[in-house]
Amino acid sequence: DGVAVLPPPYNLSVQSTNMKHLLTWSPVSVPGEIIHYFVEYQGEYESLYMSHVWIPSSWCSPAKGPECDITDDITATVPYNLRVRATQGSETSAWSTLKHPFNRNSTILTPPVMEITKDGFHLVIKLEDLGPQFEFLVAYWRREPGAKEHVKVVRSRGIPVHLETMQPGAAYCVKVRTFVKAIGRHSPFSQAECVKVQGETLPL
Amino acid sequence: GLRRCLLSMDIHHIEESFQEIKKTIQAKDTFQNVTILSTLETLKSIKPLDVCCVTKNLLAFYVDKVFKDHQELNPKILRKISSIANSFLYMQKALQQCQEQKQCHCREEATNATRIIHDNYSQLEVQSAAIKSLGELDVFLAWIDKNHQGTSA
Amino acid sequence: MKNVLQWSPPEGLQGAELTYTVQYFIYGQKKWLNKSECRNISRTCCDLSVETSDYEHQYYAKVKAIWETNCSKWAETGRFYPFLETQIGPPEVALSTDEKSISIVLTAPEKWKRNPEESSISMQQIYSNLKYNVSVYNAKSNKTWSQCVTNRTLVLSWLEPDTLYCVRVESFVPGPPRLARPSEKRCVRTRKDQTSALK
Repeated sequence: DGVAVLPPPYNLSVQSTNMKHLLTWSPVSVPGEIIHYFVEYQGEYESLYMSHVWIPSSWCSPAKGPECDITDDITATVPYNLRVRATQGSETSAWSTLKHPFNRNSTILTPPVMEITKDGFHLVIKLEDLGPQFEFLVAYWRREPGAKEHVKVVRSRGIPVHLETMQPGAAYCVKVRTFVKAIGRHSPFSQAECVKVQGETLPL
Repeated sequence: GLRRCLLSMDIHHIEESFQEIKKTIQAKDTFQNVTILSTLETLKSIKPLDVCCVTKNLLAFYVDKVFKDHQELNPKILRKISSIANSFLYMQKALQQCQEQKQCHCREEATNATRIIHDNYSQLEVQSAAIKSLGELDVFLAWIDKNHQGTSA
Repeated sequence: MKNVLQWSPPEGLQGAELTYTVQYFIYGQKKWLNKSECRNISRTCCDLSVETSDYEHQYYAKVKAIWETNCSKWAETGRFYPFLETQIGPPEVALSTDEKSISIVLTAPEKWKRNPEESSISMQQIYSNLKYNVSVYNAKSNKTWSQCVTNRTLVLSWLEPDTLYCVRVESFVPGPPRLARPSEKRCVRTRKDQTSALK
């Protein structure tokens, strides 16, 4: 290893939303010099059974800026240690390690974006593609007193999916939330959206 | 049964991780006339009652022995093996809860099946045994997938 | 589960009278086995469906080229696992229609069999979690929507009369990624609205 003259990055933290995990840190600045960063990670398996082993991050060996998308590295629901160091030419800083191991079960799950359309009497929903780990729990009901709420699990992403065959003249409302099986958690429900057969989308 | 233990486990993600390294790993296994998991004889004969115990034992086999014995230099392969190893660690924790709820009882059949696999492993030199066991992960994952969904309603 | 070994002729020997010989190996067994129907053949494929019909085993195959008195080295496949790697064909799709609905009846694809007299095995029996992705296109509204189903029949009701609808169905098994082969597009027109026809 090069002599650690270069100061290490600091303020490491992970922001995680909808199973996308971003590691950020405060940059090292040396006037007039280009700094690169190397990120490595260690899952709980490595820390328990082969603590000397650190694995180079998929996309940040090296990284140019003070952030790294570690989504493809954090692929199990166990705590991960993360560390970063700066390099400038042959000079290398010491490693700076994330204070607390990161576990993806802490990711923030937001209500998904949905698009409700009709094809004649057929209620169709299109859901944003959040990746293969996401399922969608779609709740829908006929807008009338005492109506029963139906739930359908949708795994197709980014394509229109048939939800219900509607009765003429009726109005139907839909809301949706995500479920991530790998961490066993749901997002909150989205706002409900209602449509009337042979009419426009209704305000709530 | 297994279903209650692994309901929140995403097996398919592990299968995809293995698919990406299968050809490379299996190509390093030069002993085609020997198997560790003995595809049919051992795993297929496991009864539903023994599924949880055999899964627990085989997860331990991979976590405590195979992944440790295999030395990997290629970062791409290393990442995928790490992903699988950490996923197996998570599955062990999930099974731990079942054990506490007395749903993972080990009968003699399950213990015998596990011993056969350990015996097969020790017949080979360590590196060869580890690479062969890694190459047979698709058999183990297909067995988990089949038994997991077999006990679903 | 129709498993065919295919290969390309060796480079630089175009026009030469080449023949090929194939062998296969069951992983965990003891030795390579001959495939008699693929000894000294001139075509570049060999159907190993019979030899690999036990889909829970794994297999290797290898082929060598012979030219006059010369023999090439063996070229060998990777380990082939039919249960995980076979492509799942589309179901049979039967459509019937009336004024405002279309009935879709799906028949699961069948496992390859040696001869027509042999009893059929449905792929559903092998893959109990086999599902179908039904895609419906309304030619009048130019809209497409899909539906994931597990049972064999599906009725699309409250459709528009006298309208062309096209249906395409794909079988899939949740698990490791596999090549998919959707069915042919089948189109059918709903009947004219009888009430407007009487006016």
